[in-house]
Amino acid sequence: MTTRNEQLTEVFVEVADSLIDDFDVIDFLQNLSVRCVELLDVAAVGILLADESDRLHVLAASDEHTRLLELFALQHDQGPCVECYRDGRPRVGVTLTDPEAATRWPQFARSAQDTGFVATNALPLRLRGRVIGALSLFQRNPEPLAAQDLSLAQALADVATIAILQQRTLAHSEAERDQLQYALNSRIVIEQVKGILAERWQMAIDESFSIFRAYARAHSRKLSDLARAIADGTQDTDTIRAFSAHRPWPRA
Amino acid sequence: MISDRMAEILRRLQTNDWSDAVADAAEPLGVDGISVSAGSGTGVTEILWSSGGISDGFEDLQATLGQGPGPDSLAAGTAVRVPDLTRVLEDRWPALVTEASVLSVGAVFCFPLRIGAITLGVLTLVRSACGPLTAGQGDDANALAAVLTKRVLDLGFPLLSAPEEESLPYHHAVLHQATGMVSAQLSVSLAEALLRLRAHAYSNSLNLTDTARDIVARRLRLAPEPPPMNVIDDADED
Repeated sequence: MTTRNEQLTEVFVEVADSLIDDFDVIDFLQNLSVRCVELLDVAAVGILLADESDRLHVLAASDEHTRLLELFALQHDQGPCVECYRDGRPRVGVTLTDPEAATRWPQFARSAQDTGFVATNALPLRLRGRVIGALSLFQRNPEPLAAQDLSLAQALADVATIAILQQRTLAHSEAERDQLQYALNSRIVIEQVKGILAERWQMAIDESFSIFRAYARAHSRKLSDLARAIADGTQDTDTIRAFSAHRPWPRA
Repeated sequence: MISDRMAEILRRLQTNDWSDAVADAAEPLGVDGISVSAGSGTGVTEILWSSGGISDGFEDLQATLGQGPGPDSLAAGTAVRVPDLTRVLEDRWPALVTEASVLSVGAVFCFPLRIGAITLGVLTLVRSACGPLTAGQGDDANALAAVLTKRVLDLGFPLLSAPEEESLPYHHAVLHQATGMVSAQLSVSLAEALLRLRAHAYSNSLNLTDTARDIVARRLRLAPEPPPMNVIDDADED
């Protein structure tokens, strides 16, 4: 059993290692989301980024199940994340079973509860006095997160912001807005490719993604690069399918 | 933050013929010329609209030399901002830099028109004076590129520019998943798959996100049929 300090050290080292290297932003944020779940002992984590029209998009989640992605996506126009994005203030310990939540965010509160969540938290992705998105945390138990955990959550949200702005794109545009648009598009490519693979392999979207990701990891390929190659038709997808057939079933 | 001025232009752009609206964007963006080109990762295929003058000259130059920020933006799928063309490293676009000074182009800013792996073209802003875009102008330019992306996609099926469909629900993963599925089912490009999805939703008065959900859940499968009109080639699919 690793202690919390050991866990924290491990995550810190992992984050630093990735950021100094040529990393894939979607992959990085997904790993970070999984780490958030472990460190904060919450049920699910999503990282949302605003587009040029201030609409929030899911950039990464601790769990790629379409159902969960849809729940995060619901927060583009209602829920604590969009409110947190608008005024920059965290929303913590929001009880979803509360009648107030049902009144304020009817669709969001219902869907979140249907997915088994009873509480949620939203923390801002901050950038020099602006807010560029939100970190969304869902809990299956109603216990509010401790103050220490909330500071840690905010630190992890800040790490996400840094990663988004650290992406190395081919053309090296340094403008923040361009970096955000690039990250949003990288996410869309992955969704498009999930669809292509699910249809080619005749399986569910979530299964096809698991195989895709397992292949990318085993071959040290960046998720976005591999997705791009599949979309462009330069990557043979049979190879990916065949690879997964010889391995234990990957978990989502 | 999008400026009020640009917000107004974007509203007009969604409903009207777009040339007037795009021309009016030059002032809030602080540039002397604007052009919109269709293209893919491999380069520009056609100039769709240009404010003329300096923009025509610059587009011609990039087309002749086959290099420049426009082709780079298309290939990389990200914006390319060149606030001072004279200070670009020599090996980046060797021929372009000399020629551009003849046209007295000081700064160029290119924004790709893309939806994930669908690359439709590039928005190019040209200014004779050097200097960066302000943060606000950069936001405005990205917002303009986003609306132009949809307009260029709509060129494949003008009927779809229905006023009620102001923007596409890009925030729903399921829309992009369904686009991928339809492209594989019908062996068409992602751009055409997205058009087919929208055409289906539109002609059956269905919500686009619900249609996408039905596709992903395999409750709905679009019939193979010839494209409705001159669908834009998505050479990324080649």
